[in-house]
Amino acid sequence: MSRSLQHEVTLLELVDRVLNKGVVLSGDITLSVADVDLVYVGLRVLLSSVATLEEQAQLAAGGVPAR
Amino acid sequence: MSAAPIRESATGWYLYGVVPAGGEGPAAPAVDPSYEVVAIECGGVTGIASRVSLDEFDESTLPERLADAAWLERTIRAHEQVLEAALARTAVVPCRFCTVYRDEDHLRSFLAGHSNALAEALERLGGRVELGVKAFTAPEPRSTAGQAESGRAYLEARREEQRRREELAASRSRTAAELHGRLSSAAEDGVVLDLQSREASGRDEEMLFNGAYLVLERDRFERALDAIARERADLQLELTGPWPAYNFVPEELGRG
Repeated sequence: MSRSLQHEVTLLELVDRVLNKGVVLSGDITLSVADVDLVYVGLRVLLSSVATLEEQAQLAAGGVPAR
Repeated sequence: MSAAPIRESATGWYLYGVVPAGGEGPAAPAVDPSYEVVAIECGGVTGIASRVSLDEFDESTLPERLADAAWLERTIRAHEQVLEAALARTAVVPCRFCTVYRDEDHLRSFLAGHSNALAEALERLGGRVELGVKAFTAPEPRSTAGQAESGRAYLEARREEQRRREELAASRSRTAAELHGRLSSAAEDGVVLDLQSREASGRDEEMLFNGAYLVLERDRFERALDAIARERADLQLELTGPWPAYNFVPEELGRG
C-alpha cells in the first residue's frame, strides 16, 4: 500500500479539496462557480504542459513516451 | 501582527481558516508573499489570515490570475501549507480558497458574528484529522469483439462483453461499499467522494473508490486499512493526509 506524503499530493487532489470543500464564508470577495470553472481550465493547461515536458524529456533521452 | 504595509488602501485580508482562541499565526509563507500570516482573535475564535494585495485578489483581477497556472499552483499550495502548519498544532476549520475581506473590521465582524458555529465546528474536529483513502484496480480489458470472424460470432462476443462489463461494475460497486463500511467503522465519520479519471489521478489503474474519513484513532484506522490491503491483493490502496478537515465542516456557515 502506498502512503502519499502531503508534499507529493497532486495539485488536482488539492484543488478538489481547497476549491470545492471547506467552509463557504461570507467573505467580501469569494470565488464564483464561474471562477472555479476557470481554475479547472487553467489546471488542464498546467497538467498538459507537465505531460508534454515529460514526453519531451523522454524523447530527448532516446525513449518512447509512456502515453 | 505584522508591520503596516506601505499601501494600506490596496490590501485586503485573506482568511485561510479558523482555530480555537489563543492560536498563533503559523510560520508558513502567505498566499501573497509580501505579507506574513497572522492570528486575529475575535469572539472566542482565532482567524488565520494574511494581508493580500487587492491588485491580485480583487474580484476584477481574480479571474485573470486564476487562469495563470503558475500563480494558481503557488497560491493553492500556500493556502494548504498555512492550514497544514496550523493543523500540526491545533484543530482547524478550513476556509475555501480565496476568501478575502476588504479590511480587518469586516474580517473581525465575520468572526464575531459566527463565533458560536465556528466554535462548535472546532469542538467537533478537536483531536481528529481527515484522512483520504483511494482504491485502484487494473483497467478493464479492451474489447475483442471486432476480431470475431462472423457476424454471429461478433454479436455473441458483444453480448458476452456486455454481460462481463455489468458484472464488473456490480462487483466494483460492492467492493466500494464494503471498503466504505469497514473504514467508516474505524472512523468518527466518512464520506464517499467522486472518483477521479485516470488522467486526473495520473495513474494507469482505474479508481474504484475515493473516500474521506474523520479519524480520532489513527492506529485503529490504519489497522483497518492494512487488513483490507492484506485481504484484497487485487486492489491498490492509497492513504493521504492528514488533511485539514475540508470534508467535515459545515458548508453553510457563512449564509444568513
